[in-house]
Amino acid sequence: MSTIELLLVTGVLLPLASFVLLAFVGSKLGKPASGWVAVLAMAASCVLAAVALMQWQGLDAAGRAAARSAPVLWATLGGMPIKFGVNLDSLTLIMFFMVTFVSTWIFVFSVGYMAGHSDEIDGVSKFHRFFTYLSLFGFSMLLLVIADSLLLLFIAWELVGVCSYLLIGYYFHKKSASDAGIKAFVTNRVGDFGFIIGLGMVVLFLGDLSLAGAAERFHHEFTAGGPLFSRTFCGLSLATWMGMLLFCGAIGKSAQFPLHVWLPDAMEGPTPVSALIHAATMVAAGVYLTARIFVLLTPEAQQFVAIIGCITLTLAALVAIVQTDIKKVLAYSTISQLGYMMLAMGVGAWIAALFHLLAHAFFKALMFLGSGQVIEGCHHEQDIRKMGGLIRKMPVTGLTFLVGVLAIAGAGIPALWMPNHMKLGLGGYFSKDEILAVAWHRVYGENHGENEVAAGAEIQNPKSKIENATVGTPPPEPRPLSPLLFWIPVLMAYVTPFYMMRCWWLTFMGKPRDRHVHEHAHESPLMYVPLVVLALGTFVSSYYLFRPLVAAAAPHPFLTASYDGAAAEAAEAHATMISHGAHAALATRVGLAFVVGFVLAWLIYRKGLAVGEKLAAALKPVYTVLVHKFYFDELYGLVLIGGTMALNAVSYAFDKFVVDGLVNLAAFVTERLSWFSGMIVDQGVVDGAVNGVGRGTWSLGGLVRSPQVGRIRNYILFAATGVAVVVVWIAFV
Amino acid sequence: MLTVGLTQYLVLAAFLFCCGLFVMTTKRNAVGILIGVELVLNAACLNLVAFSRYRVGTIDGQIATLFIIVLAAAEAAVAIAIFVNYYRTLATIDVDKGDELRG
Amino acid sequence: MSGEVLAFYLLAALAAGSALGCVIATNIVRMAMCLLGTLGAVALLYFLLSANFLAVIQLVVYAGGTLILIVFGIMVTSRTYGEKLKPRTSEALIGTIVVLALFAGLVAILLRAPWTPVAPTEPSNSVAQIGQELLGTYLVPFELASVLLLAVMIGAAYLAQPAKKE
Repeated sequence: MSTIELLLVTGVLLPLASFVLLAFVGSKLGKPASGWVAVLAMAASCVLAAVALMQWQGLDAAGRAAARSAPVLWATLGGMPIKFGVNLDSLTLIMFFMVTFVSTWIFVFSVGYMAGHSDEIDGVSKFHRFFTYLSLFGFSMLLLVIADSLLLLFIAWELVGVCSYLLIGYYFHKKSASDAGIKAFVTNRVGDFGFIIGLGMVVLFLGDLSLAGAAERFHHEFTAGGPLFSRTFCGLSLATWMGMLLFCGAIGKSAQFPLHVWLPDAMEGPTPVSALIHAATMVAAGVYLTARIFVLLTPEAQQFVAIIGCITLTLAALVAIVQTDIKKVLAYSTISQLGYMMLAMGVGAWIAALFHLLAHAFFKALMFLGSGQVIEGCHHEQDIRKMGGLIRKMPVTGLTFLVGVLAIAGAGIPALWMPNHMKLGLGGYFSKDEILAVAWHRVYGENHGENEVAAGAEIQNPKSKIENATVGTPPPEPRPLSPLLFWIPVLMAYVTPFYMMRCWWLTFMGKPRDRHVHEHAHESPLMYVPLVVLALGTFVSSYYLFRPLVAAAAPHPFLTASYDGAAAEAAEAHATMISHGAHAALATRVGLAFVVGFVLAWLIYRKGLAVGEKLAAALKPVYTVLVHKFYFDELYGLVLIGGTMALNAVSYAFDKFVVDGLVNLAAFVTERLSWFSGMIVDQGVVDGAVNGVGRGTWSLGGLVRSPQVGRIRNYILFAATGVAVVVVWIAFV
Repeated sequence: MLTVGLTQYLVLAAFLFCCGLFVMTTKRNAVGILIGVELVLNAACLNLVAFSRYRVGTIDGQIATLFIIVLAAAEAAVAIAIFVNYYRTLATIDVDKGDELRG
Repeated sequence: MSGEVLAFYLLAALAAGSALGCVIATNIVRMAMCLLGTLGAVALLYFLLSANFLAVIQLVVYAGGTLILIVFGIMVTSRTYGEKLKPRTSEALIGTIVVLALFAGLVAILLRAPWTPVAPTEPSNSVAQIGQELLGTYLVPFELASVLLLAVMIGAAYLAQPAKKE
C-alpha cells in the first residue's frame, strides 16, 4: 500500500474510530467533549487528505500509476473474486478533501448549534448521540469515496442511507421528524432497489464488481457484441437498462425526479445535518456514483440521465420560488443544482458535473450553516416572512450568506467582456457556465465547427495531464440532443438567482417584520467561524484549484471512444466549450442571468412582502401548484396509499362475498351434518369408546406419572440407563 | 506393551464420557451439571479428532470439533445466563429445587 | 517406549485423573479446577494428534473462555452459605452402576472392533487449510454458527438482565 493510500485509509478509519469511541463512552465524555472528539477525528482526516493531495500533486503520471496498489482479495463467491481496494485517482483525492474539509467545519458548527438545543430524552443527555451519528456518516461517505468496487461502494452507500435516517429523525420524539426519517429511508430504498438489480446485472453479464474491471469487461462486451448489447428489452439494449438501473440508486440518493420528495422533508433534522446531507455527503454520493459508473452508461442511458436531471432542475427551481421556510428554499435549490449536475453527466460534461458538485458543496454548506445561525438566532423561527433586516443584527452571517447566494447564482464577469478572456467569478459561475456550454455544444456544436478549431490553442489540460490517457480511435460524432436540454437549463439559470436573492433579501434586508424575532437575533462565534471559512473556501474553490484535478481523473478515453466517444468527446467537448464560440454564445444568453434575477427579486421584494403577495394573488393557479410542490406528495399519497386502500377494498369484497359465502355454506352443511352425527352417532357409539379410552389414559398417566420426578438429573439418568442397556446388549449379548 | 493407536484414544474418550455422564446425573449444583456436559463434549471432540487422524486422513473431523467448541461456548453462555436467572428466582443453585414440572 | 507413547499415557492419565476428580469433588470450585486439568490435557492430546490449530483453539476458547464463564457462574450463584449439595446416595449408587456398565460395554466394543490397522495419516492441518474449508465446504455451517452466536449473545444478555423494577 502506497503512502497516499495509507493516508486515505487512515483518514477513513479516523471517523470510524471516533464513532466507536463515542458509541461506547460518549455519554461519559459529556456535552462539549464528545462533540470535539468527532471534530478532532474529522479534522485529522482532513489534514491527512490535504497531505495526500499535496503528495499527489507532486507526482507525474507514472508516479501516480505506481501509487495505486492492487486490491486485496476478500472472498471468492461462485468463482467471482471480490476484491477491495482504494480507487486512487484525482477525483477520489479531491472529493476526499472536500468531504473532510466541509464536514470538519460543519462539525465545528454543530458543536455550537447543538449546545443551544435541548438534547435530553427521558432526562438523559443525548448530545453525544448526535456526534456518534455524524462520525459514522463521515466514515460512510469517505468509504464511498475511496471504494474501488461497486460492492464496497454499495456497502458504504447503504451506510450513508442508514445515517441519514438516523440523523433526519434525530428528534425522533417529534412525529414529523421520525416520519421524515422514514420517508427518506423508504424513498431511498426505492432507488436502491433499482441499484441492486443493476448490480445483479453487472455480476451476471460482466462478472466483475470492481469499477475498473467492470468498465473493461463492458468495453470488451461491446466490441464482442455480447448479450448485454445484442439482447434488448422494451426496445432498449440490456446495457442501457443496466446503466439506467444503476442510475436509479443515484436518483434516490441525489433526490432526483421522481424520488426527490424526501429531501425537503429531510429539513426536519438539525440544521447541521441538512448542511451535511446537502453539501458534503448524501446527495453528493449520487452524483459521485454516476461519475463512477459513467463508463457503463450507453448513450441512451446518458440521455435518460440528462432528461431526469433536466426535469428535476426545472421542478425544483420553480417550487423554490414560493417557499417561505428558509431551509426549504435551500432544499429545493439543492435539488435544482443536483439536477444541473445530473444534466451535465447526461450530456457528457463529466468534468463540469463534478466541478459543480465541489463548488456547490462549499457554498451550499455555507448557506445551510448560515440558515442554521439565523434559525438559532431567531429562536427557531424558520419563516422568512417573519424575518427581515437581520443584517444589522448578524452582519457576518448576512455577508457570508450573500457570498453563497452570489456563488449559486453564478455571479461572474463573462470572459467575453474581459481582456484576454480572463475569468473572474465565483465557483458556481464557472461550473454552471461549463455545464451549459457542453449542453450547448451537444445541441448546436455541429453547426459551429469553426469554433472548435479555434479552441485548440486554449486547452487547459494538455493530454499528458489526463491520467490513464490511451490513444483511442477518433470518436464518432455524438448524436445531437434535443434543444430543450439546453434551453430549459438556461431559463432556469435566470430563476436560480431570483429565488436565492428573494430568500436573502427577505431574511436580511428591508425592515424587520416581526419585532420579537428581530429583537432577540444574535450570532455566536463558534457558529460564524465556520461560515467565514466556508465563505473563503467558496472564493478559492474556483476554476484554478478544483477543475484541473477533476479533469485529470476523467474516465479512460478508450473505453468509450470506440463505443460512443462519451469520454473522449467529453475531453473534446471540454476543449470546445472553453472556446470563444460556446462561451460567446452563452455569455449573450445567460452571462448576466444573475443580474437579471437579482434585480427582479429586488424590485419585487425591496418593500417587503406586499408586491409578492399581489403577484401570487394575480397568478393564483400557478402559485397554488407551486406551493403544493406540483402535488407530488399528494400524488404519491393517492397512488401508493390510495392504491393500497383500493386493493384492500377489492380483497375485502372478495373476502366478504366469495370466501365468506363459501365458508358460511360449508358451515351450514357441517352444522346439519354434525347434528346428525352428534345426536345419533356420537352420544351413543363414540362417547362410550372415548370415555373408555379416557379412563384408560388416566390410569396409565397415573402409572407413568410416578417417575416424572421433575428432576432433570434423573431424566438424564434414565436416558443414560437406556444407552447403557443398549451398549451392554451390543457388547455382551 | 504399551502402544498408541486409535483404540487407546477411544477408550480414553469413553472414560471421559462416562465421567461426564456421571457428573451430570449425580451433581445437584447446576454449574456442576454444566461441567459434566463439557466433559461429555470433550470426549466427543477427542473421538472426532482421533478418527480424523487415524482413519480418515482429512481435516473434516477437526472442523467438526471446531464447531463443537463454538457451540459449547455458546451453550455455556446461555446456560450460565439461565442459572443466574434460576438463582435469582429460587435463591439456590440446587437443580432439584426446580421441580415445578413434577408429574 | 517412544516419546509419543509416553506423552500420550501421561496426558491420558492427567485427563482421566482430572475427570475422576470432577466426579469425586463435592466443592464446585474444585470441580471447575479439575475440568481445567481435563481440558488442558485434551488440548495437549490434540497436539499429539497433530491438530495444532485445534489445540490452540481448545486452550483459548475452552480453557480461556468457557471455563472462565463457568467460574463466573459459580461466583454469582454460590452466595448461599451452608448449602450442602451432596449427591443423594441412591442416585449415586444407581449412577455408578449404570456408568460402569456403560463404560464396560464401550470398552468391550472398542477392543473387539475390527479396526484394520491403518498407519496414522498426517493430515495437513495448516490453519490456512482449515480456514479454506471453513469458508468453502463448510460455509453454511460457519455462517449458521455466527448467527447462533449472535442469538446466544442477545439471548444471554436478555436472560441475565436485572429484573425490571416495578
